[in-house]
Amino acid sequence: METLKNLAHNYYYLVAVVLFVIGMHTMLTHSNLIKKVIAMNIMDTSVFLLFVAIGYIRGGQAPIMRDIGDGFYINPLPGALILTGIVVGVSVTAYALSLVVKIYRYYGTVDADEIVEIRSREQ
Amino acid sequence: MTLQHHFPALIIVIFLICAFIMPLLFRWRSTLCAPALLLVHLLALAMAVALLVRLYAGGPFYYHLGNWAPPWGIELKIDFLRVYMVLILVGLGLWIFVYALKDLAHELKREVTGWYYALYALLIGSMSGMALTNDMFNLFVFMEICGIASCAIISIKESRECLEASFKYLILSAMGTGCYLMAIAMIYMVTGQLNFQLIREALPAAAGLYPNNLLVATALIIVAFGTKAALFPLHVWLPDAHASAPSPSSAVLSGLVIKIYAFSLFNILFFVFPASFRQAVPINEIVLWLATLGILFGSIFAMVQEDLKKMLAYSSIAQIGYVFMGIGLNQPTALLGGFYHILNHALMKGMLFMVAGVIIQATGRRRVKDLNGIGHVLPLVMIAFTVGGFSMIGIPGTGGLISKWYLAEGALLANRLFFVIVIVLSSLLNAVYYLPIIINAFLNPYEGREPVKPVSRLMVGAITAGMIAVIFFGVYPKPVIVFLKAALAAVIGM
Amino acid sequence: MEDQITRLTSRLVVPFIQVYGIYIILHGHLSPGGGFSGGAIFGASLVLMALAFNLSAGVKQISHQSASLMESGGALGYALVGLIALLWGGNYLANRAASFPLGRAGELFSGGAIPVITVFVGMKVASTMVTLFYNLIEGEAKVGDPEKPGA
Repeated sequence: METLKNLAHNYYYLVAVVLFVIGMHTMLTHSNLIKKVIAMNIMDTSVFLLFVAIGYIRGGQAPIMRDIGDGFYINPLPGALILTGIVVGVSVTAYALSLVVKIYRYYGTVDADEIVEIRSREQ
Repeated sequence: MTLQHHFPALIIVIFLICAFIMPLLFRWRSTLCAPALLLVHLLALAMAVALLVRLYAGGPFYYHLGNWAPPWGIELKIDFLRVYMVLILVGLGLWIFVYALKDLAHELKREVTGWYYALYALLIGSMSGMALTNDMFNLFVFMEICGIASCAIISIKESRECLEASFKYLILSAMGTGCYLMAIAMIYMVTGQLNFQLIREALPAAAGLYPNNLLVATALIIVAFGTKAALFPLHVWLPDAHASAPSPSSAVLSGLVIKIYAFSLFNILFFVFPASFRQAVPINEIVLWLATLGILFGSIFAMVQEDLKKMLAYSSIAQIGYVFMGIGLNQPTALLGGFYHILNHALMKGMLFMVAGVIIQATGRRRVKDLNGIGHVLPLVMIAFTVGGFSMIGIPGTGGLISKWYLAEGALLANRLFFVIVIVLSSLLNAVYYLPIIINAFLNPYEGREPVKPVSRLMVGAITAGMIAVIFFGVYPKPVIVFLKAALAAVIGM
Repeated sequence: MEDQITRLTSRLVVPFIQVYGIYIILHGHLSPGGGFSGGAIFGASLVLMALAFNLSAGVKQISHQSASLMESGGALGYALVGLIALLWGGNYLANRAASFPLGRAGELFSGGAIPVITVFVGMKVASTMVTLFYNLIEGEAKVGDPEKPGA
């Protein structure tokens, strides 16, 4: 019961971890290269979700300097970190996709299993 | 404040600036690119030496980027071990770059050499950043730069194998950094800090309240750095990536890149996690056993390889195991051996990949079986290979013996006789696959009609320099050992 | 792609997107957003041009060469602003400590080095979006010609 209650309170974290595992599993097991790249993004996004969820306080204001009376700001640091993370994720994705384009040009397929087959046939 | 105060940041920044300028410079005056990068390496080397001098005078110090002290700003920490790593990175980076100057013309198209230089500068710069930073998130950013740059210096040679290996590497390294980012999130969740030292202070209280979070974070960190540094079961990307890359890339990837991840893991284990935490969770044991498996299986896999560069790549998995073993044994002498092995292995593996590059360029052969009698046509190069192979095995007079010696002594001092046996056994395994190549190369006659292509003197010179260094650090290891002993005593207080 | 509706709509929308992108970049130190978001918006407008019309229309806006020049320039500018701080007595990338004029908070010309850096980041990100797009498109276009140099 206690565990369930904790889960209900911290559902952000649960969702983040589930997404993380989905991403990781797809990335490692799926043979389609494009799907691997998508899974990589899902995995990154799950971490971003977790990070942003950590920084959020219910009822907090966006961290822009102004007069907010009795209110309080949410933690701006996770947001800043995640922005960096997103930038890094974008560049890795772009690089991975350009590699996929090149691989497709050489093998005519984006399926890792088929690539292995083509290579073994040639040897 | 004098300029010297800014050297820690400048070491990283000049490499980054060099990387940004390189595409422009290549378009404008392509002949200036190589001298510019050489100059940057020399400058960085001079700065690293100046840091060392300052360390001897005043002890460890910190540099706050943008004058923001932690917890707000990013902090660089300069202590003996980190400067040791930076010296290795920049010094050996320079050495491999000298070799690359001539080798690249053979392996890459001319249009992309400018990009290669840019990536190389980015790689060395980001690795120096990883060595110096004292901030979890900053480490992540440098890791990603390093990851992309190291994939790119593989895929820049656009053969099918390279692209495929590079993609595999990219996916697994993205998994590694993803895990690391998750670990940062977990740690940030319970401590609210990103600075190594501040996390260390906040961890004991947090460990009592949220033990599960920290357990998960620890596991993720081991997976992350294990993947990046090719710790045994996570090594699957390494053989393809290091074998298919252009030879200078193989040398820098095998020699430097995997070491810096091992060093970062060491930093996190010893400077983020308090000693009490390390005793409560058997992190060191896990690393130690994985390293042992890596040492044994890396060598066993290397034996059955037909491709020379693939064999060297598998041998790297075994050798990085020694570094991790030093970390895992958690004993000053063993750590000393591990750190000395970082230098030694970077030297000898760099040199061996250079030798492989020269053999491939001169004769076009890369299968182990075809190397019969190659010592008659490329004598100096094969002598270097012999020295490298001997150093891998740990024959007296070479650096490999010294690091293994200290590792074994550390294992004995920690009362872990089993690991001494592992070290001896792995030396035998190394001998099984290095010695036949050496024997066949010198004692069998050279078969083959096609003429041996001439090899640039600069490349042979770089290999010779490496050979001399391997022997030097084997015959006269005292300065480095004394330095490391003092460094470890000062840094860890053991 | 020869679609009148997309062409007309994008021709209408692109100027607004670009102004919005520039606005986000210039107000990076005052409100959420900044170099990366604004640069991405601006870059997206250029990509939209190339998508709605054709590659040559996009190239007319900004060629591959000048995009990659701007890319290097943006990153270089960022690093050099950091170095200026060194000359003025701060640490690398220092702002107040290097006595950059801070101005009054909330005004457009305030924040010392930050708006300058934001503009450089915006430049870098916008041109990176474009070069990435061109690289992918060109990689696609040259199917069957594996001799093309690196992207």
